[in-house]
Amino acid sequence: MTPEFIIGCGLIILGAICTAWPSPRDYITRLINLEIASFGLLLVMLAFDETIALLTFVAVSAVSVFILVRVIGKKEAVVQ
Amino acid sequence: MIDGLIILLLTVLITLGAVVTALWRGPFDKLIGLSIITAGIVPFVVMRGYLDVAIVVALIVPLSTIIILLLLGRPVQ
Repeated sequence: MTPEFIIGCGLIILGAICTAWPSPRDYITRLINLEIASFGLLLVMLAFDETIALLTFVAVSAVSVFILVRVIGKKEAVVQ
Repeated sequence: MIDGLIILLLTVLITLGAVVTALWRGPFDKLIGLSIITAGIVPFVVMRGYLDVAIVVALIVPLSTIIILLLLGRPVQ
């Protein structure tokens, strides 16, 4: 039980709760709260010494944020 | 002794950033909270000895912040 593992589990739980019930119920808030859980998962991977998993996860996380931002932008344009 | 103190301070920093990101309502405030979490995580990665992972995290996390700012910067109709 390294400190990285404990902090990572706390961040995953907090991020999941905040993503499920965001304070203003819109997509941007959910996306930013999802980043908290993403950082928690990064800390858990760091606790288990998985270098390639860390590199891949950080890179793919940026790509998924880019795609989600494009989708949210198009959806808001359609709604308005 | 100093190692345990550094770990304690970084834990406080990450917890503060997570709580602040969860509680603040404005999107710009939330992005500032995410930067606080990043500032706590990068020393953990460096203390484990993964300098390549630290390089990737320090490059890509501000990039995703800029991508989210592109969504926030559009004029509201």
